Amino acid sequence: MRKIFRIYKPFTHAGVLLAAQYRANFYFFILGDILRCFINYFLWHAVFTSGGNKTFMGFSEVDMVVYIFISFLTSVLAYSDGSYAVGEEIRDGNIAMRMIKPIRFDLAFLFQELGERLITVTLIFVPLLVGVEIYKFVVTGAFAFNIVNFIIYIFSLILAYLICFYFNVCYGYSAFVLKNLWGANFLKDCIVGFLSGGVIPLAFLPPVISTILNILPFAALTYTPVMLYLGMYDVPTIIISFGLQIFWLIFFIILQQIIWNACVKRMSVQGG
Amino acid sequence: MKLLRKTHRMFKLHRIFIKQDLKKLMEYKIDFLTGAVGMLLTQIINIFFLSVIFSNIPDLDGYTFGQIIFIYGFALIPKAIDHLFFDNLWAIGYFIIRKGDFDKYLTRPVSTLFAVTVEKFQVDAFGELLVGILLLGWSIPQLTLNISALNIFLFIIAIFFATFIYTGVKLITSSIAFWTKRSGHIIYMFYMINDFAKYPTTIYNKAVRAVVTYIVPFAFTAFFPASYFIIGGNPWYNIGGTVVMSVILMAVGIFIWNKGVTAYESAGS
Repeated sequence: MRKIFRIYKPFTHAGVLLAAQYRANFYFFILGDILRCFINYFLWHAVFTSGGNKTFMGFSEVDMVVYIFISFLTSVLAYSDGSYAVGEEIRDGNIAMRMIKPIRFDLAFLFQELGERLITVTLIFVPLLVGVEIYKFVVTGAFAFNIVNFIIYIFSLILAYLICFYFNVCYGYSAFVLKNLWGANFLKDCIVGFLSGGVIPLAFLPPVISTILNILPFAALTYTPVMLYLGMYDVPTIIISFGLQIFWLIFFIILQQIIWNACVKRMSVQGG
Repeated sequence: MKLLRKTHRMFKLHRIFIKQDLKKLMEYKIDFLTGAVGMLLTQIINIFFLSVIFSNIPDLDGYTFGQIIFIYGFALIPKAIDHLFFDNLWAIGYFIIRKGDFDKYLTRPVSTLFAVTVEKFQVDAFGELLVGILLLGWSIPQLTLNISALNIFLFIIAIFFATFIYTGVKLITSSIAFWTKRSGHIIYMFYMINDFAKYPTTIYNKAVRAVVTYIVPFAFTAFFPASYFIIGGNPWYNIGGTVVMSVILMAVGIFIWNKGVTAYESAGS
């Protein structure tokens, strides 16, 4: 383990430098995305005012607002560029250079991205979280920060990121076959965004669909961590959720390895 | 007469460029198709989201589902048209200026702005356009609209000028790159405000409402004109406002663009 860290630390360092370089850009992009959260906030506010009910399918207004912002935060932090980066390397042939080096392809990517994430975390994690807690305090009049839920959330978030990373690497390998990936990535983000509960809580869907989506790996990316943060799950459900997250993580790590081994054999690099 | 000949020439050039772009597209057919499906799916998911909300409440801030869908569909059409014809402005903000590629437009015998916009014909936009038209088509029978020759005329006027509100905002923000080399992130931030236009501005608080009405006037691309058609109101404000805002934005945009072109210095190499 120590050895792995020693070998791959330079990648993390490069990632940090890369992300720090584009800090200002990142802020503008995030601001643009946060606007969407505010639209949802106003929309749900209108829903609760117009409906006249205290709850909407089991969610109070405060729950819903927390859901909007924390699911956004989760999806930003547990986002992985893996599929794009892998696709790009395959298209421009750089992947051949990776193959001749005595390092693992997936780990090099992972450690570089972890470095980038480190910057992301420092830039948005605290402001958003504090903002949400202040909102809760102002609306409910009570300080309700639950440290247990928070710690559970962090663990779940880390697992979510790792699942997301390996899922995206697997997906990125499709560039070995398809070569060009912009459209495919766009479509994937769109579908995954919906299936992971990024648009609406999965609980709002018909029970059968909701149950199926809860078992699929996508829920583990956003929905599970957010529900844990909200404290909506009882202890057995929490244990099952973690079990599912760990299962999917192992699943994608193994799948990634299998695809990689198969692809290396039939690879053709474009150009030279 | 001279103007007519000039416009004719512009249209001819435009057709040639579109043809070129379509050829490029055919090379990456599958990628394009999946992209277009993605655009379509994004909108379908959003509509689904709205229908889930409306399955539990009778109306949203006084608006029925049909009315909300009309506004939503209306919002997509000018957005799609702008996307179709003026998408290259994004590239200005992201890399054309930074890489010094802007040089080539300066050597052409047409205005730089025309040369830039004509270069790309963003076919992905047809996904949004299609959804917008379908939503309007679906919602119109549910509403009691006053369909008269005048209103159809006003509708076309509103769509036309609303398109240039989008273009104007992109033009102003992308021109910043002439001085800063890169402004993609700034275009993105301002452009994202258009999402506010998809819903009645009455659901927002005063500050947000003022911003989307007067500062980055996306409310005039959808909610104001659309609400004239569905609930009536003062056409001079609802449609006239769209015209005024788009003329102002385009005038400012073209002014800054021209200033920018003179300030442009190519990337050294």
